[in-house]
Amino acid sequence: MSTTRLQEVLVCFGKKKQADIATAQVAADMWRFSKLNAALANPKLATENDAEEYGKGHEFPTATFKTAWDVGATLEKYLSAEIGAWAVAFALGKVVKSGAGPYVYTCTPLMPAAGDAAELPYLSYVEQIRPGAGVVLDRQAVGMAVEGFQITVGSGPGRANSKISVELVGSGKVIDTATGITMPAATTEKLLPSASLTLSINGVDYVTNKNIVSLETGWKNNIRMDAGFFPGSGFQTPGDGSTGAIRGRLEFGNRVGNLKFVARFMNGSDEYTKLKAQTTGTAVVTLAYDANNSLQLTWQQVTYSVVEIAETDQILTVAVECLPMYHVTNGILTAVGKTVVDAICS
Amino acid sequence: MNEPTRVWMRPPWGCGEPKEVEATPEILSPLMTAGWSQCEPPATEEEVTTNVHD
Repeated sequence: MSTTRLQEVLVCFGKKKQADIATAQVAADMWRFSKLNAALANPKLATENDAEEYGKGHEFPTATFKTAWDVGATLEKYLSAEIGAWAVAFALGKVVKSGAGPYVYTCTPLMPAAGDAAELPYLSYVEQIRPGAGVVLDRQAVGMAVEGFQITVGSGPGRANSKISVELVGSGKVIDTATGITMPAATTEKLLPSASLTLSINGVDYVTNKNIVSLETGWKNNIRMDAGFFPGSGFQTPGDGSTGAIRGRLEFGNRVGNLKFVARFMNGSDEYTKLKAQTTGTAVVTLAYDANNSLQLTWQQVTYSVVEIAETDQILTVAVECLPMYHVTNGILTAVGKTVVDAICS
Repeated sequence: MNEPTRVWMRPPWGCGEPKEVEATPEILSPLMTAGWSQCEPPATEEEVTTNVHD
């Protein structure tokens, strides 16, 4: 038998959303990407045993019970227009598509108080190694949701200076052999490099000033994982209580956004002044490949929560943590993904 | 960005009539935050006239 190298792993997942949490997607609704991290989406089966039960005559286990399933995955990638649009659409949940190619996906967080759902769109996540006659791995996690994403932009010439990490959590439902999925062709991506950044925060254009050193921004849904196991949530094999429970819903919890950046500290830098005054303003982060492929995140109202004078490579810098706040009219975050790919999160 | 296209949005809770708006973040953000969602354009209803000559 030949050794299996992890470079062989193929990953595809829902470009469109599932019909509901339990309905597996077909290949036509998924797209395939490469990734940077080695971690696999390993299903975890929680078991219990009868060691502590009385009436057996001893303290040793004699039987085990499958109780519940869990599965999660993390995607680390160089940031592209395609994965960026997909991540913000599935992480925020509310999407308006416009255009006829390129397509513009305007995404905002779901607002249950305004009638929106508390569940995010679901997708399937497939991993295969040597699919076909010599299959090593072929499994499909069904009912996954995006727990959050984190975008990092740094200084330097390489692709690693613009990355995205996406965390997915799942219902626990897994097809662990013979998914029947024919892996789609790899998606051609339009990278959004660090050099394309435009950045305006609280009234300051940090790129025009040539001051920005790095930034990081993201979103976390804090999905209520335990609440997914409710009476009647279902089993790995429907109707078979011995196969372990799965989640029947994934509702977001107390969501939170984040934005922090490091800039060169110059004469006239006003971050500390704005911290003391708790000045508020918008923060607009834009990365682009060309006119048809871009990602823009607009934090509708931020103020500074931490401002520290520090150094980066022996140059005086200021590290700023922003507090994204809810703007009474525009909400908290608007993400606009532009790409030639149709039907994302549809 | 290219020149904005237009999209149809329906009001929250299913109350009220859909409206067509420019698909710019400045216009969509307040609507989406207030619960408006994208919808299909309303079907154009043709006037049906009973043929009184039958």
